[in-house]
Amino acid sequence: MVRVSGIITALFLLFPLSQAMAGDSPQEQRHELMEDSKGAAKSIGGMLKGEVDFDAGLAMESLKTWQGVGADFGGLFPAGTETGHDTEASPAIWTDRAGFDEELSKFNAAVDAAIKANPTSLAELKPAAGPIFKSCKSCHEGYRVEEED
Amino acid sequence: MRWILAVAAVSALLFWFLTQPVALSPEDLPEHRPDANNGQRIYYAGGCSSCHGTDLGGGLEMPSEYGTFLVPNISTDPVEGIGDWTTIQFINAMMLGVSPDGRHYYPAFPYTSYTRMKVQDVIDLKAFLDLQEPVERQVGSHQLGFPWSFRRGIGLWKIRYLEQGAAVDTVGQDALIQQGRYLVEGPGHCGECHTPRDRFGGLQTGWWLAGAPNPDGEGRVPNITSHQDGLKSWSQSDIAYYLESGFMPDFDTVGGSMVKVQENMARLPEADREAIAAYLKYIPARSRKGD
Repeated sequence: MVRVSGIITALFLLFPLSQAMAGDSPQEQRHELMEDSKGAAKSIGGMLKGEVDFDAGLAMESLKTWQGVGADFGGLFPAGTETGHDTEASPAIWTDRAGFDEELSKFNAAVDAAIKANPTSLAELKPAAGPIFKSCKSCHEGYRVEEED
Repeated sequence: MRWILAVAAVSALLFWFLTQPVALSPEDLPEHRPDANNGQRIYYAGGCSSCHGTDLGGGLEMPSEYGTFLVPNISTDPVEGIGDWTTIQFINAMMLGVSPDGRHYYPAFPYTSYTRMKVQDVIDLKAFLDLQEPVERQVGSHQLGFPWSFRRGIGLWKIRYLEQGAAVDTVGQDALIQQGRYLVEGPGHCGECHTPRDRFGGLQTGWWLAGAPNPDGEGRVPNITSHQDGLKSWSQSDIAYYLESGFMPDFDTVGGSMVKVQENMARLPEADREAIAAYLKYIPARSRKGD
């Protein structure tokens, strides 16, 4: 029992710490948000691929994750964060901010529409998620550079 | 002194003989009624527009260690493009790398893969290209240094590297795997980027599809065999889904020059993507070649 409460205490202590660590630099925060986004995509994508059964709750949770990402992501590209921390952000974000913002608003609009649609079946999820996936891909094409793994 | 001249003359004659462009004549062709719909499928499998442009008017510069290649205009313009080509001229270009005026093409044009295609598919592809708009764009000549600028020498290169046989033997395997082999090794020409090359630019088939340095510069073209360097953790349906959607199993997205390839593959019938995936899971897993 002591051990369990110890772990819980440690978790509570670590939680704000890990938040603070992730918040060290805009580059790292961006990376974290993209990882969250990938997690949401994996949940919904698994349903679209037929690997896991449709789960309305998980789908909505993932859409909300995307909504949160969309709210914060655009503000994490201040001048001076073009490089460093293995960022995959393309210089185009700073040279063509309007184009980048347009991509972000496409993503946000697609996520908001999907939340509003409130999919209750795989058949409803597919058309709702399609534009979101499309916006991920098109933004990456213009505003991300591939780094070798 | 005289014997030196004699040796030189015999060598020149031998070189001339060996490097002669070999082409087919119309009577070598099978009976076939062109099918532009199948031609469109082949067009997407080959991803012609990735290099020649969506208007097919060419002009893209491809830098390489041999110099800069300029991608030609293959639109239906009769002067700048290939609008006045006959079927046999098109087949000789695609499958043997020989131009209508009887010269060798540089293998930057991947006829080394297209040589494995079915003649019928090449005829169908021409029928589809014939339906496209002419583009009046003049594309200049390749800018290559000596000895690469000497085209006739490609004849020797072809003797060494132009191989119609399969890169991976799939005889007797499932029909899906065989269909995948055809698409990957033939029209899809996947090996041209995913297989490393030797110092003469020939594919090193011992590392078939095991990844290679990126011709665009930075990074590497990935290993797409089932090795742990490559697609070991990808299922057959992961590969097919990636080609359809551009999303990897971890839901990262397709990048670099593969974007256009994937978008073309997305327009193939589903069965073709399944076939490609089945073939990629079938071929020997190979580690990437050490640099």
